[in-house]
Amino acid sequence: MNSSQAALVFVVSAPGVVFGLFGLLWLLGWVPSERFLSRVTGITFSACLAALAVLLWALSSSGAGAIIVKFGNWFSVGDYHFPLLLMADRLSLPFLALTVVLSGLIGQFSATYLHREPGFLRFFLLLHLFAFGSLIAFAAASFDLLAAGWELVGITSVLLIAFFHQRPSPVENGLRVFGVYRASDIGLLVAIFAMHHWAGTASFTDGIPALTGAQAVMVCLLLLLAAAGKAAQIPFSGWLPRAMEGPTPSSAIFYGAISIHAGAYLLLRAQPLLAQARTAAALVVVVGLVTAIHGTIVGRASADAKTSLAFASLAQVGLVFVEIGIGLKWIAITHILGHAVVRTLQFLRAPSMLHDYHQMHAAIGDEPASESGQLEDVLPERTRLWLYRWALDRGHLDTILDRWVIHPLTQLSRLFAKLDNFGLTQVAKPGGETLILNPARPEGD
Amino acid sequence: MDYAAVVLSGPVLRGIAILVPWFAAALSAVYRKQTRAVGFGASLIAAVASALLLKGAPSGQSLYEALMLLFSGLTLAATLVLPKRDCTPATISGILFLLGATLLAYSSENLLVLLGAWVLSIIPFFLERWFRSSAWRPRFGLLLSSVALGSAILLIAASTHAISIDQLRGQNPGGMTAFGLLVTAVIFRKGVCPAHAWVADAAEGGPAIPTALLLNGHFGALLVAKLIVPLFPKTAGNLFPVLSYLAIATALYVAIRALTENSPRRLIAFLALSQSACILAGLESRTSEGITGALVHWFVVTVSTLGLLGIVRLLEVRFGENLTASKHLGLGEHAPRLAVSFAIFGLALVGLPGTLSFCSQDLLIHGTLTSHPLTGLLLPIATAMNAVSVFRLFTRLFLGKRRTGFTVMADALPRERWILALGVLFVVLGGLFPNIIVAQRSADASTVEPGRTFSAR
Repeated sequence: MNSSQAALVFVVSAPGVVFGLFGLLWLLGWVPSERFLSRVTGITFSACLAALAVLLWALSSSGAGAIIVKFGNWFSVGDYHFPLLLMADRLSLPFLALTVVLSGLIGQFSATYLHREPGFLRFFLLLHLFAFGSLIAFAAASFDLLAAGWELVGITSVLLIAFFHQRPSPVENGLRVFGVYRASDIGLLVAIFAMHHWAGTASFTDGIPALTGAQAVMVCLLLLLAAAGKAAQIPFSGWLPRAMEGPTPSSAIFYGAISIHAGAYLLLRAQPLLAQARTAAALVVVVGLVTAIHGTIVGRASADAKTSLAFASLAQVGLVFVEIGIGLKWIAITHILGHAVVRTLQFLRAPSMLHDYHQMHAAIGDEPASESGQLEDVLPERTRLWLYRWALDRGHLDTILDRWVIHPLTQLSRLFAKLDNFGLTQVAKPGGETLILNPARPEGD
Repeated sequence: MDYAAVVLSGPVLRGIAILVPWFAAALSAVYRKQTRAVGFGASLIAAVASALLLKGAPSGQSLYEALMLLFSGLTLAATLVLPKRDCTPATISGILFLLGATLLAYSSENLLVLLGAWVLSIIPFFLERWFRSSAWRPRFGLLLSSVALGSAILLIAASTHAISIDQLRGQNPGGMTAFGLLVTAVIFRKGVCPAHAWVADAAEGGPAIPTALLLNGHFGALLVAKLIVPLFPKTAGNLFPVLSYLAIATALYVAIRALTENSPRRLIAFLALSQSACILAGLESRTSEGITGALVHWFVVTVSTLGLLGIVRLLEVRFGENLTASKHLGLGEHAPRLAVSFAIFGLALVGLPGTLSFCSQDLLIHGTLTSHPLTGLLLPIATAMNAVSVFRLFTRLFLGKRRTGFTVMADALPRERWILALGVLFVVLGGLFPNIIVAQRSADASTVEPGRTFSAR
């Protein structure tokens, strides 16, 4: 393993090692101080950044297209292998750099923002796990490994939404987001299995797996399902405002920068397949365009800063999808990088919005000029009213999900429960309604 | 005479692994003192004997030795994790009796011995002083499965005049009737839909940890691996997919059923059922990935479900029996280590990357997708619903407003903490370095279907 390969391994594994080490020590009863934890975080991401610089230098000086690290197979059975391959190329490097820089910045910001918060350690552990998952996803050289990182990003995202778990709504919203993630991730899993089935591999070190036209369409549609779920594109956009329940720093890095763009990264990776599958590419454009319009309209009716920013993010990611669908790969990457940095800054400043406003007020000595000439002014009054109601209910997406997916599943589940208990005179006791201190009776005596 | 060689020979080690727990069960019932120590000692001896058997087994023929080690390890963990108030002579003797019977079933090479072990393993769940459930369906399900197995073995013995499994291999003994009876035994013992309801009743109405051990013996899957596939290769090839479809129907049915279940024990039983139904689908897939995935998943499901039910019992002992998933209980503040262990076991059950089940599910879905595309497509859907149910249970039990009204409650005690940590390490390290386990199970896959040249494509 040469120095550039070692640097890549270090970048990907360092946050994971910190997470594992601190997690294990906590399980054994040790709780690190806030200062120690934030310093370790700072050092870790600074070191990762230095390693990334080495990587970039090595890549540019050698003129190679990519740096690949092969660890062999994670596991293998017969003809089937799960390759453990890392790759840093022109597509993954910007995303790796974005993850490392923003994770480090969020770590430093959170050291102050979450000072003396009971979940300080939990937040930092999850931040490291998130960075680890993201780095695996972006440095993976196969869709198999990408899926592993993808799932880790999902679970940390959900746990951070439920960060303030004393209140029921963050917890319930976390559960809802988890459900949407799991449903859309089925697309990624089945796409990977389909690639293995048809092409014998899901690795992209030597180009994308070779598929026929129809197979490429099928795989791209499945990948679009996964990407749309992760990037909150239509019809999955309903979860994004719910995710704003988490602490502001995590909202910034997840829904302003990294996680929200992971879907776009997946499609960028599958770009050669998309070029082969015109139908799927067209659908990517349609999904992106509809989401961009949806995000713009709903964002205008949002009452709070974070939700408004979330919908602004949604609109931009929708446009990124359009760019990917059209085939403008490098414009999409540039768009993602610019958007991620600006949106992270906006999210981090959101709690100080009033303070900023007052400062601006004091500086100019007057009220800042209000925006005028909104596009919707050209619409008839009735249409505007209808659009306003539509935007207030966030495009009825949650209502549709509730009515057409969750309600039928719940009803079906209750029907199954009735079937299970059919003919029973004494149904096994359900869970009690209150938690009382009735001592458990000894069992098996 | 080399005494060491005699003691370390297969039959003697098997005898030690099976008879020591039974002797300790009797001792525990009579002596009634130091019950935890007796249980721990006996299961430790069984585990060591099983480990020696596994060490001495030739490569590719170590499946049942590995299962013996797994089950004795689980029993060892159970004796330590049992709450003090449950650690009675009756419980310990019942657990040890179950251990002996299960190890006998795993090591049997004879139809009558297998039937005997099958019946012995369910006896503790019929006796009032051991683990009899308050509901009737568990007894009914277990009884029917035993009757079906007994009838099948009687038919086979009558038609072939042979009871050695090796002799009967590939002979289709007893024809379609015996095959049908064996499948019926699997359906009832494993809780395959429509005979699934007893499993939840057993978890709800019986003692948590012994019931988890009963379910984790996976006698249904054992019957498939030990008898049905080797003895009926042709019939299994033609008709076995029916069982696979029933298994996937079970996985989906109970996954949907779990979505609205509020009793933690029933919910975990449904999750265990759904995930273990995947084992049957994998064994039936007849691909190396599917069978290996099923065998690895067997390990994951047993460790995870014992961990989950064990933690629920520990919570019941601390916070009261009427735990519910209908509201947020906020127990994580009181028991953070139990909460973290629960989350890891729960997510390990449903294929979180970095845990062993990520690998097993990957293999399972690959295998089933190759042989039965529909089953392969439905498995991830069932797993996704199970993941939602696991997370819902976790959030309802551990998240929410901190409970007041009782004094400080203990988090995991040292003995519980070490056992839970070992379980967590197994699923996590197994997930990080899966090839050690996967390679062994891959070699063992030929035990399930010998003579078959495995090819995924």
